[in-house]
Amino acid sequence: MKQREGANGIRVILLGMLALCLCMGLTAEFAWSDNSLCLGCHQDESLKKQDARGRSISLFVSEAGFKGSVHGSLSCSECHTGIKDDAHAEGGKKAADRKVNCVVCHREAEKEYLKGLHSKMIMKGTERAAYCNDCHGKHNIFPSKDPKSMTHASKIGKTCNRCHSDLEFVKQHALGAVMPSEEFKKSVHGKTGEMTCINCHGSHDLRSLIDPKSTIFRSNIPQTCGTCHPEITKEFTESIHGVLAGRGRTDSPTCTTCHGIHGIKAKVDPDSPVNERRIAKTTCPQCHAAERISKEYTLTAMQVKSYYDSFHGLSYRGGDTYSANCASCHGVHDIRPSSDPKSMTHKDNLQKTCGSCHPGASENYAKGKIHSVASISGEGFGEKVVGWIRVVYIVLIVTVIGGMTFFNFTDWLRKTIDQKP
Amino acid sequence: MTKKYLRMTLNERFQHLNLFINFTLLVITGFALKYPEAFWVSPITDVPLGMTFRGFLHRLCGVATLTLGGYHLLYCAFSDRGRGIIKDMIPGLNDAKDLWQTLKNNLFINRPAKEIPMGRFNFREKLEYLGLIWGTIVMTGTGFVLWFKTEWLAYFPMWTYDVARAIHFYEAILATLTIIVWHLYSVVWNPEVYPMSWAWITGNLTEHEMKLEHGLELDRIQAEEKELKEFGKAAAAGGGRVYPLFLKREKPLSLRGIVGAVKGMNETMKNWKGT
Repeated sequence: MKQREGANGIRVILLGMLALCLCMGLTAEFAWSDNSLCLGCHQDESLKKQDARGRSISLFVSEAGFKGSVHGSLSCSECHTGIKDDAHAEGGKKAADRKVNCVVCHREAEKEYLKGLHSKMIMKGTERAAYCNDCHGKHNIFPSKDPKSMTHASKIGKTCNRCHSDLEFVKQHALGAVMPSEEFKKSVHGKTGEMTCINCHGSHDLRSLIDPKSTIFRSNIPQTCGTCHPEITKEFTESIHGVLAGRGRTDSPTCTTCHGIHGIKAKVDPDSPVNERRIAKTTCPQCHAAERISKEYTLTAMQVKSYYDSFHGLSYRGGDTYSANCASCHGVHDIRPSSDPKSMTHKDNLQKTCGSCHPGASENYAKGKIHSVASISGEGFGEKVVGWIRVVYIVLIVTVIGGMTFFNFTDWLRKTIDQKP
Repeated sequence: MTKKYLRMTLNERFQHLNLFINFTLLVITGFALKYPEAFWVSPITDVPLGMTFRGFLHRLCGVATLTLGGYHLLYCAFSDRGRGIIKDMIPGLNDAKDLWQTLKNNLFINRPAKEIPMGRFNFREKLEYLGLIWGTIVMTGTGFVLWFKTEWLAYFPMWTYDVARAIHFYEAILATLTIIVWHLYSVVWNPEVYPMSWAWITGNLTEHEMKLEHGLELDRIQAEEKELKEFGKAAAAGGGRVYPLFLKREKPLSLRGIVGAVKGMNETMKNWKGT
C-alpha cells in the first residue's frame, strides 16, 4: 500500500507539473504524458517488432485492458521511462528495449525479490527466470485479491506452471520435479483451493532448495508446514526423527519424507504413503529396512523382517487393518527411542501400549522381546528356543515326510509293476 | 454279487467327513496367514475384512475339530464298536514287521513277494490314527495359547508365546504333508484303489480289498460267519449292513426325530452281531 500511496503522490506531483507545463506551453512534455499519443500506434494489433534473435514480438497494448488494471490511471511514460523523445514515435526504437523498472514505486517487493532465486538466476544470465512481469503481467496487472489477477489464489498455480510444468523448461533448467502441478491438483492441499505454490515456497523471495533460509530447505520444512499444522510440528520436533533432522541429518525424515511433497494426500486415501495399508509396507521400511540407514545408525533391518513374520505383520500383509502396524505401537509424529521414558515403547509404557488393543495385558507383555528373530545363535532365550524348535521340526519333517514319500514311492512302483498286463 | 464288508458305520463316516471339512478349512485358513502374498490367498485378502474372517473361521474350525475329538473320545469309550476300534488300533511289534516286509516286497528283496496278512487296522492306518491324535493334541494346546494370549501371558513369559507359534506352524506343515503324502496315497493314489477308495462314502470294502490289506481280519470274519449259522449268508450278502441306513420318514424332520434316530442307531450298533 505504501508504494501505491507513493505512486499516487507522484501522480499528484506530475499532474501539478502538467498544469505548470500547460501554462508554460511546453508541449513536448505534454505529449508524452498523454496515453492517447502512445496508443495511437500501439492499439494496432498487428504492430510488431523483431528482437535481436529475429523473433517477432507483438507491441499491441489493449487500451481497455490497461484502463481497467490497477495501473490504469498512470501514463505510459511513468513506467516506460526510457522513451522520451519524438524519435521513438517516428519509427525509431531508441531506448525502447529497456525493461520497465517497477522498483521506482515497489521498493519493498524489489528488495525481497533480489533475495530470491529468480533474481539470482537472472543475474546468472538465465533468460527465462521470472521477472516482475512474468508473474504479475504487463499492462493487465490487478491487485492479487482480484480474481482477474495472475497472482490471485485461483490463478497462481497457472502462473507458476507456465514455466514449471513446461517439460522443456524443467529439463533445461534441471528442476527435477516434473509437473508438480499435476501432483498438487490431486493433493489434499490442492483440493482446498486455498493453498497455492506460494504458501510453502514464498513469493518474491522464494529461495532455492539448498538455501538454508529457504522455506523448503530440509530442516526448515517442519516450520513451513507448522504455519498451518503447529501442533504436529511441535510433536515432531521433539521426536527422534525431528531432533535428528533439526541437527541436519539428511537421512532423518522430515514431513515430506513420509507424507510426500506436492502430492500430499489425506491419510484415508489409499494412495497416501501414510495410509494404514501402506505405512508398514513402504513408508517406514523405506528407511528402516534400508541397509544405508541401518548401517549408519546401527539399527537392525530385522525390525521390519521380524514384524512381517509376526502375527501382526502377517495379518497386516494380508490386508487386516485391525492388526497393529508400525505406528500402532511406536506412534506417529512423536516417535521416540525406546530408551526415552516418554516413548510408547519404553518398558514402563509397553503394558499400556499393548493394552490399548489387548485389554488386560499383563506385565509379561512388557518383558518379552517383540521384534524377535528365531535363531539358534540368537540373543534372547526365547529366540534360541524357537531356533532349536525350528531345527528339530525341520529335521523331523524331512525325516518323516521323506520316509513316507520314499515308502509310498516304492509301494506305488511295485504295485504298478505288478499290475502291468 | 461281491461280498462287502462294513468298514465305517454311518456315524464314523460322518466323523470322517466332519474332520475332512474342518481339517481342510484349518489348513487353508492357517497357511493363508503365514503366506498372505501367495496366489491362492487372494480370494481371502482381496475381500474387505477377509483376514478378520479368516481368523474367525480358523478358530471356529479349531473348536469344531476339538468338539469332534471330544465326541470321538466318548464314542470310543462308551460304545462297543468304539472300544473295539481302540483295541484293534493298539500298535504292536507285528506292525513294524509288516512295514518292514512290505518294504522288502516293494524293493524286490523278498522274491517272490510275501503275502502279508494284516489285522483290522494295518500299520498304515495305525500310524495315521496315532499321528492324528498327536497332532490334534499339539495343535489344540498351542492353538489355545495363541488364541488366549492375554490370559496365557498373565502367567507365562513372552517367549513361550513365540514357542507356541513356532510349534503350531511346524506341526501344521507336518500334519498337512502327512495327510497329503500318507493318507491320500493310501486312499487315492494307491494303484489298488485308484481313483479312490469309496469306503469313506459307502462305508464298505470289497472282499478283494479286504484280502489285500486286512487279510487277518477277513479270515477272522469268515471264521465267525461259519459259526453264526442263523446269520449266515443273508447278513453278509447284505454287505454287513445290519442296521437300516435310510429310515422311511413319515413325520416331518424334528429334533426329537433326530435324537430318536441317533438313539436307534446306537441301539442297532449295540445289538450288532456280524462284522
